[in-house]
Amino acid sequence: MRVTVRNKSVPLVPIGVGVAAFTLAAALLVHLWQKSFGVGWFIIEAVCCLAGAMVVTWLGWCINHLLESVTSIVRQLNKNGGVKKIDAVNEAAELADAITKKIENYQHNEFVLEEHIKQLQIQLQLACRQKQNTDAIIYSIRDAVIVADGFDRVLMANEAAGKLFGFDYKSGQLRPIIELVAADKQEFIKILSQSRNSKSRASRHEIEFVEAGRVRVFDCIISCVYDQQEQVCGVVAVLHDITKEKEVSQMKNDFVSHVSHELKTPLASIMAYSEMLADGEAGDEETRKEFYSIIQAQANRLSRLIEDILNTARIESGLIKVDKQYVSLTILIEEQLEMIKGFAQEKDIKVVGQKPIVFDQVYVDKDMMSQVIVNLLSNAVKYTKSGGKVTVSTEVDDSAGIVRVKVADTGVGIPEDAVEHVFDKFYRVKANEKQAKGTGLGLNLVKQIVEKVHGGKVFVTSKVGKGSTFGFELPLAVAEHAAVGK
Amino acid sequence: MANKKVLVVDDEIHIVHVVAIKLRNNGFEVITAANGSEAFESACAEKPDIIVSDYQMPVMNGLELIEKIRQTESLKDIPVILLTARSFGIDDELKQQLQISQCLSKPFSPKELLRDIEDILHQTSVMQHSA
Repeated sequence: MRVTVRNKSVPLVPIGVGVAAFTLAAALLVHLWQKSFGVGWFIIEAVCCLAGAMVVTWLGWCINHLLESVTSIVRQLNKNGGVKKIDAVNEAAELADAITKKIENYQHNEFVLEEHIKQLQIQLQLACRQKQNTDAIIYSIRDAVIVADGFDRVLMANEAAGKLFGFDYKSGQLRPIIELVAADKQEFIKILSQSRNSKSRASRHEIEFVEAGRVRVFDCIISCVYDQQEQVCGVVAVLHDITKEKEVSQMKNDFVSHVSHELKTPLASIMAYSEMLADGEAGDEETRKEFYSIIQAQANRLSRLIEDILNTARIESGLIKVDKQYVSLTILIEEQLEMIKGFAQEKDIKVVGQKPIVFDQVYVDKDMMSQVIVNLLSNAVKYTKSGGKVTVSTEVDDSAGIVRVKVADTGVGIPEDAVEHVFDKFYRVKANEKQAKGTGLGLNLVKQIVEKVHGGKVFVTSKVGKGSTFGFELPLAVAEHAAVGK
Repeated sequence: MANKKVLVVDDEIHIVHVVAIKLRNNGFEVITAANGSEAFESACAEKPDIIVSDYQMPVMNGLELIEKIRQTESLKDIPVILLTARSFGIDDELKQQLQISQCLSKPFSPKELLRDIEDILHQTSVMQHSA
């Protein structure tokens, strides 16, 4: 906008002189009209006129000065717009117009700025909300997540990362990552640097950390973040705990190895004895009978093992057919004790049962419960050294409505940290592996049959070098039903 | 192969039995053990010409037995055949390191085992003569 200003001063002296002369002439005419002309009055009036002229001149000077000031202000307002020099009659009006326009201009600018500020505030709120959302997402991830900038400072980390690396995830922002990560986990920093230097989009690593003596394995994916110039400006690391998967995988491998061994061993006997018979190496009838008997026993062993594996799978998948009936647990135990006695005698282990108790009827699948009892008994004998003892006891808790069976041995016992895992599928106690062979299925099958099929509960207590007590509880059958069952 | 002494080690009594019969029927002298520890004692006392050992055994397994034998001056040159029911075989490096003459997977043929024993003893005898 252009504002016009005048470039001339007000002619103060002519105006002053004119005003004085006009006033003096007017005073003279008044005196002549009234015919009261006197020298004294005339001098006084002349002095007054002169004074008035001086006042007018002074006022003019003031106005001039004011106009120059305003002009200067307008010049400043027009700093960018330039000044058009014109002669104007009514500078004050133009000046007022210029100032009004300028004010309007400022008001418009102010409006634009306010709108701009509002937009920025909205954008800021949106950015804050987006950051809160991003934080909430990252904090909710159960895997450990760390975001670092180009200078290896932590921009963001979630609770899992804080727990894993031992720092307060809320106050760790912008601190160098090397200061935050615990000394025994510095391998992670090394991998982070390598990934950044390689500039690859994403790299995958398997890292092991030892925590309280236990090895934890993490699948660590590190992704580089790129700026607009395609330079790496940060990294995002996500660490997923795969300890359990590793353990399961290891257990499966062990299982395959154990099952393979358990299956191949009786098969080896069957094939070797069959070959001997076919080749006529069994010299007499007695030897032949012995060979046949061994082949039969090994075939049965193989069949039991396959049945064990299949039963575990069937129970797990819920496909097993359950045929429940009312039976006395004590009688069932007596039958299984008879079966195990031969094996116990071979190892010179004494097996002690107990007299039948009055009422210990349970509503169970007889074959399955027989398998439970035989598994517990054979385990007790397997892990007890020669000269040891296996005791089986049954007790009825009428108030709780349960019957409890315990198989106690004087065997090698189980280390404390392994006790809670003995019923896990495929699990074998490392410390006792050399004591006996097994697939890690027997106790799991016991648990599945007692708990999943019959709604009971298994338990174990053990002390290394002293022995173990394995057992289970089953709900007692209702008396009148049991009588019908008999 | 008369008078040759074979130590057969397995915790599976039926396997020991069938191998012993096969070898005795073919003129070998057979001594047996139920685990690595028993086998080492027998080896020290009897100085067998060859050892046939199972891998997975209680107390001391087959590999531990072989390792101990290789560390014992008077037994270190005895050839060993390893029987295994493992799903994964023994890796070649370990086999070479422990100087295992042969690895047989279970189930195995007693005939094949006899043949291997005879071959290994023959090779050992040839090497001893040429030395």
